[in-house]
Amino acid sequence: MTEVRSKLDWGAFAPLRLKARSVADGVYAGSHKSPRKGSGVEFGGHRAYVPGDDLRYIDRHALMRHGELLIREFETETDRDLWLFVDATKSMSYAGPGAPGPKYAFAALLAAALAYIAVRTGDRVGLDFLGGKGARSIPPRSGRDAFERIALALEDVEPDGDLSGDKSLIEQALGQAQRGARRGAIQVVLTDLLDLPAGSLQALTTLTTRGRLLQVIQVLSPAERDFPFEGAVQLRSLEGKSIVETDGALSRQNYLAALAAAQRNAEQQLVPRGGRLLKCATTDAPEELVRRILSSHVEPTA
Amino acid sequence: MSFITVFALGLSLLVLAPTLAHLLRRGRPNEQPFPAAALVPVTRSTARERSRLEDRGLLLLRALMILCLALLGAGPLVRCSRVALGRSGGASVAIAIVVDDSASMRTRLSNGKTRFQRAVEGAHELLGSAREGDAVALVLAGKPARLSLAAATDLQAASRAVDELRPSDRATDLTVAIALANAALSSLPHKDKRVILLSDLAGDLPPEPSPGVWTALPELASKSDDCGVLRAEQSGPRVTAVVACSSEVAARARTLKLVSKDASAKAEARLVVQRGEQTLTLEAKAGASGTVELTGADQNPDDDRADIAPESRGLSLAVHVDVAGEAVATGGAPLLEQALHSLSYGIPVRPLAELPREATELNDVAALFIDDPPGLTPETRGVIDGWVEGGAVAALFLGARAHDTQLGASLEPFMRGAVDWEPLPAGTDVDVGSFNWLGAEADSLKQLAPKGRARLDSAILPGAEVVGRWSDGKVLVTRQERGRGLLFSVGLPVSVEVSDLPLRPAFLALLDHIVGEALRRRGPRASEAGTEWWFPASGNLQVTGSAGPLVLREADGQRVVTPETSGRYTINLNGKSEARFITLPADEVLSVPKQDLPNTWRATKGGAAPQVDASPELSWLLLGLLALEVGARFWRLVRERRAQGAIQPAPP
Repeated sequence: MTEVRSKLDWGAFAPLRLKARSVADGVYAGSHKSPRKGSGVEFGGHRAYVPGDDLRYIDRHALMRHGELLIREFETETDRDLWLFVDATKSMSYAGPGAPGPKYAFAALLAAALAYIAVRTGDRVGLDFLGGKGARSIPPRSGRDAFERIALALEDVEPDGDLSGDKSLIEQALGQAQRGARRGAIQVVLTDLLDLPAGSLQALTTLTTRGRLLQVIQVLSPAERDFPFEGAVQLRSLEGKSIVETDGALSRQNYLAALAAAQRNAEQQLVPRGGRLLKCATTDAPEELVRRILSSHVEPTA
Repeated sequence: MSFITVFALGLSLLVLAPTLAHLLRRGRPNEQPFPAAALVPVTRSTARERSRLEDRGLLLLRALMILCLALLGAGPLVRCSRVALGRSGGASVAIAIVVDDSASMRTRLSNGKTRFQRAVEGAHELLGSAREGDAVALVLAGKPARLSLAAATDLQAASRAVDELRPSDRATDLTVAIALANAALSSLPHKDKRVILLSDLAGDLPPEPSPGVWTALPELASKSDDCGVLRAEQSGPRVTAVVACSSEVAARARTLKLVSKDASAKAEARLVVQRGEQTLTLEAKAGASGTVELTGADQNPDDDRADIAPESRGLSLAVHVDVAGEAVATGGAPLLEQALHSLSYGIPVRPLAELPREATELNDVAALFIDDPPGLTPETRGVIDGWVEGGAVAALFLGARAHDTQLGASLEPFMRGAVDWEPLPAGTDVDVGSFNWLGAEADSLKQLAPKGRARLDSAILPGAEVVGRWSDGKVLVTRQERGRGLLFSVGLPVSVEVSDLPLRPAFLALLDHIVGEALRRRGPRASEAGTEWWFPASGNLQVTGSAGPLVLREADGQRVVTPETSGRYTINLNGKSEARFITLPADEVLSVPKQDLPNTWRATKGGAAPQVDASPELSWLLLGLLALEVGARFWRLVRERRAQGAIQPAPP
């Protein structure tokens, strides 16, 4: 079987499995702390009782000594679901000048590396796609076999589809995760956040309910990050019907300003709801990105 | 024109190909996929404009390259305005290039260049088409025509000689120039000999046209409208100017005005609308200096002004004879006067009743002839001595009266003291061989048999040269340089009672020689360009014209200056200053370029047409265009690389 199953040119990111393992080995292997405080063995502190708290965790000693209802909290190591959402729309097939490969390949590499790490720590990993030709969902599973399934599913997909005109397609894609993700699950969305219809970010923020964590990784090509075009060019979007005729040098500053504004807007919508936005380009080191994604799960949100 | 030429020129239609490609490309700028296109602002007009400008440069380069290729394919049959040597058999040719440097060659052509500039260009073009083994001679047709470069195969020397050519205000001397050119080629071994005439043909042509003459630049003989100031002379309170116009058009609405440092001296006169010469008078103060100028414009602005010459009487020849003794039996002027009149110099002959006692009496006298005087008084000797040193010539004919020199008189500065008169010894005749400098007429001195002779041998002054002898070796004629002047002493009088010397052709030849020397040394106050001014080899001399000092050259032991342009010249010799003027020849304005040329002059010898192989120039142009194209592409590539380099990932 060939490593690359789709028609996509994976560029420097092939073969996916080996690259993903290499990235994962470069990060670290082991457990990760859960930010959720609950039952466990390591004392994590007190907090005031609120109706609905489990009465088993009321600190009786404190009640008798101070006359206040305090709840004892514990930090615990626990297996947590990892949900991966990979944007496989047409725009993710773009590589652009100076890029080692298409954006989808880079996103798939990050997803596979994350899956490999999760599987090795005993967590369950699920996969779903936004768009994509040949895309199929992988429900959360654990075990060594889960990584193989996810890698296979990532390789089978050819970036295709246009979500720019229909918000319902986004909601439909996220629906399964919304329903099936356990409390405290970590959800990582790998997308370019381009060509998404209005209200897509709101749909993403629904993933943050029930104590679930949301990481949105914006994957851009170097050309999308720097806009290196010179002279007269006609730019055609891969989703939607946008065709723009412009002068590269003259438009660069305006484009970069518009991109920064779009990123600020995404952060403003995600952060208040407990989400995070991490920006990267396909030329960035994947080990560092994976490390940042993982470390952000144990750090308090900004 | 052959099929290949037509085909090659037809290839130039391919110039439309890049034009069409450009038009097609202009509608579609370089389209690229870009997912974030929605974030890109539209600057369509600027982008299109820039694209159009960049593409136009490349389009022009490519179109020019195609045209060059087409012309290269058609060459060397492409005709252009350059002149070149056609070769019927491929053999070497001998050419004599006759460049007309007369005043009429200053006329402007329609392209703004003068005829002379075009002629020099044509000479260079001809030299450029000459090959190794070709012989080239260079002749100048300004009067007097002269050989500038003898025939030689050194083409670089010929090119340098052409570079050194300068326009002048000389008259035209085509007849002699063509004769000189033919003479320069006559001794060459080449079979193909041609005289190439680069002239406006505004002059007399040879009566019998030479078959090998080619008028290579017929455009030089185009009709022109020109008015020129020939000369201007102060005459009392007036300035008299002579203006010549080649056509009525040239004279229309033009005036002659006085230009002087004296601001109050303003005068002008309107030209009569006519072809030919006209004399105009301007009112001016006596002694006014400056120039006269023509207003308006014509095709030769160089001759529209002239310096004003001060008033002067013309030169004359002075004769002092003893009327009683030398009168002709049939009446009329003395023999010496009649002989001078017969030489037809056009110079008045002035008889002197007495020998001059004051210097002013010899003003404007070029030569003085004294016949059989009874000695010279001290006053006369002083006057003649100073006058001769200033550049004049005096001739003394000694007879029997020289023996009877009066008290206090002598024959100086001609001879020392006095001379004796003696009967001619029997069997003595003139040594004809010593008079060879008179030319063929010297033979007429045979069997002269005079009644007597003056014995000059003992009275010869130091520095005098014996130029004629008797058969017994005694001195007959002496010649003595004195300052800028010259003194002749002849041991016979001008008297038929003593000998028939005055009736011999050699006598006229002697007078002609003396007058020629006088004119050459004295120099006319006003003359035409090309006239040689002779000066003694010694002394401090500087001749300055409007363009600065003139170059002096040595010839026959004297210094010679040849002014080339009209105007005022200042001669400074040993502290004495003298002004001379060069005037414009009327024919240089009035002569119409000859149109009825002999048929053999119209085409090159051998029938070859003036076709030019422009392949080398086209090849260089093509290479240059190619380099430009490569440079432009490289510049674009570098720019694109820079743009890409800006987004390359940083090294780990």
